[in-house]
Amino acid sequence: MASVSLPAGAIPGSTQQTAPRLRVSDFLRWSVDHKVIGVQYMVTSFFFFLVGGTLAMMIRWELLTPELDVAVSGAQYNTLFTMHALVMIFLWIIPMLAGFGNYLIPLMLGAKDMAFPWLNAFAFWLIPPAGILMLISFFVSPPEAGWTMYPPLSVQYSGDGQTLAALGAHLLGISSILGAINFIVTILNMRPAGMSLWQMPLFCWSVLATSIIQVLATPFLAGALTLLLLDRMAGTTFFVPTGGGDPLLWQNIFWFYSHPAVYIMVLPAMGMLSEVLAVHARKPVFGYKLVALSSMGIGVVGFVVWAHHMFTSIQPQLRIPFMITSMIIAVPTGIKIFSWLGTIWGGKIRFTPAMLFALGFLSMFVIGGITGVTLAAIPFDVHVHDTYYVVAHFHFVLYGGSVFGIYAGIYHWWPKITGKEMNARLGHIHFWATYIGFLASFMPMHISGMLGMPRRVAVYLPEFQTLNTITSLGAFVLGLSTFIIIIAAVQSLLAGKKTTANPWRALTLEWATTSPPPATNFVNDPVVFPDPYGYGTPEAAAYVAMIEAQFDGKPSSERGIQTGGATPAPAPSVGD
Amino acid sequence: MTGLVDSKAIEQSLTREEQLALKNKRAGMAIFQISWILIFVVLIWANLGLRGQETTWPPPGVERYDVVLPIIASVLLILSGFTARSGLQAVRTGDLARFTPMWRATLVLGVIFVGIMAFEWVNTTATGNYGMLLRVMVAFHAVHALVIGAFLWNVHQNRARYNPVNFWSVEAAAQLWYFVVVAWLLFFVVLYII
Repeated sequence: MASVSLPAGAIPGSTQQTAPRLRVSDFLRWSVDHKVIGVQYMVTSFFFFLVGGTLAMMIRWELLTPELDVAVSGAQYNTLFTMHALVMIFLWIIPMLAGFGNYLIPLMLGAKDMAFPWLNAFAFWLIPPAGILMLISFFVSPPEAGWTMYPPLSVQYSGDGQTLAALGAHLLGISSILGAINFIVTILNMRPAGMSLWQMPLFCWSVLATSIIQVLATPFLAGALTLLLLDRMAGTTFFVPTGGGDPLLWQNIFWFYSHPAVYIMVLPAMGMLSEVLAVHARKPVFGYKLVALSSMGIGVVGFVVWAHHMFTSIQPQLRIPFMITSMIIAVPTGIKIFSWLGTIWGGKIRFTPAMLFALGFLSMFVIGGITGVTLAAIPFDVHVHDTYYVVAHFHFVLYGGSVFGIYAGIYHWWPKITGKEMNARLGHIHFWATYIGFLASFMPMHISGMLGMPRRVAVYLPEFQTLNTITSLGAFVLGLSTFIIIIAAVQSLLAGKKTTANPWRALTLEWATTSPPPATNFVNDPVVFPDPYGYGTPEAAAYVAMIEAQFDGKPSSERGIQTGGATPAPAPSVGD
Repeated sequence: MTGLVDSKAIEQSLTREEQLALKNKRAGMAIFQISWILIFVVLIWANLGLRGQETTWPPPGVERYDVVLPIIASVLLILSGFTARSGLQAVRTGDLARFTPMWRATLVLGVIFVGIMAFEWVNTTATGNYGMLLRVMVAFHAVHALVIGAFLWNVHQNRARYNPVNFWSVEAAAQLWYFVVVAWLLFFVVLYII
């Protein structure tokens, strides 16, 4: 472990930022600062989280009883779950994780901004128009073919809203490709001296893997949507069987994008989990290289499993190969799970709200992962295909995984982003309400699914009522729990205590600057700590003490710090 | 014809930041090209998928396209890729007198290519999936050729700005034009050969 030296000019008090504080209006206009763009992504997508959540509440209200309650017809109910999925996937999870990436990647790499700041802003500003298109579509004959938009439903029966929603998804796809190009170039080219690929924080690894998936998979969505739009608007018949088209073609191309896309939705959250668990358990990440490589492994294998979404529609001889690949992809995922367990094993765990959500992620993702393996088994999948068991599975990985991860990330980086502390008591209440509400809503779905309750129906047999009522009540708790974090956020912004540069005593570079960071991220060139997860060593303690001395003016314990000496080795900051 | 200056030496004389910016732009362009070509691959997938439904291709009763004009168009397009490359090299070596004719040749060849394919598009009588795939794929490619051609035209109009130090716009335009050429060759093979 290299010794830690103070950079030249790192005298306490010399790094006071003089830049004016950002105002709310700064976030409403064009900006090329990756931190502003990151917040724009996060706030925009959180708004859509509330929209999608409202739709979820309507869905659960409808399913409270076996008869029609909210929707006037089954077709109207179809529009509810279609919009719910489109909004949650394309306008909440994916852009929210892109927001974290935007805010954190340059900071973690000690860079001043992304490789292409203008492109970054452009990628964000595609999202509001796309979101507006999606929302408008709900009010002009909404799409009712499900978020998977299977033809011929989506071509011959769904209304004009389907066209608008497809256009919106198209824009979001372009935004996602441009953002991913930016991430890959930034991560590969803009690391500081002293940080090899194998010394990057794991969040950078996961965003790198995600971005590679995005540039290779999203074009397939773009192509498929182009053909779908042509079918709808230009009279072509790519997917229309009556005109000689092939509906299965859509399913193949769509899932060739959308299965890798589920990793786009969870890999960055997994990266955040590695950060949060290591920092709050004060332990190095167990098996750093394997965790980094498993992200890449998931990225690669993710491209050859798509047909497991179509076990009931593809040629039977293709089922076994796809079953095998789908089971194989559990291996890199399992590596991550065991690495996280190894990380917290014997750690000095601090049960902060971030840590609670990270542990929640871990427990829920194990369940979601295991149900995933069961679904990869063809005999079982054929039995539960299109039932609530599938709905339970993907909510365990998407909510129990991604959303819990996002919550952990919000609690973890909130002090860095806002410069304010968040009320931990509210955070604890939020966690327990979410955890219990989540289990109550999605656990019973496994049972109702195995008993044979089909998904995407507004009216169901009375025998499923008990399970559905539990699910709905749990969902209402889950819906209300979202407001606790909003209250905690507002309270923190209005009356929160000012925080320090490094409240969690972390070793990654985003904490080696003021909270919130100045416009150029670092006033002096940041010093890279060679091992981003070397917690528990004297060097790590010295590094943290140095950051505290530098940014908060606290007397540092002098262990291991060389303040004198010849030229220290500051990491040259690149990417002006 | 050799250039007037050594482009490699000039590139190395740039500042660290300028070199990094150039490296970033080149990497970004390469990733963009890899990503975007996959949309063309989707159309090829659709083509192969739909022809898989038929016993013969073209389907019985549909006449195969005449391949003469498309071959001429393809040769001209490949040629335009080389003239674009030559124009880029001219800018990078400070040989601006060579840049303008090469770039104009690229534009003219590109316009002729789009013109021939537009003629084919209008006059094709093929129906069913066979005709639909031809129309959609040729038009999809032509949209790219036209948009990127407009970028080439923009570079041409601003040609006085470019020199061995400031050449990225020319390089980007040339790279995108190579993309148009490669994408067309993929489509040509799928539409006319196999």
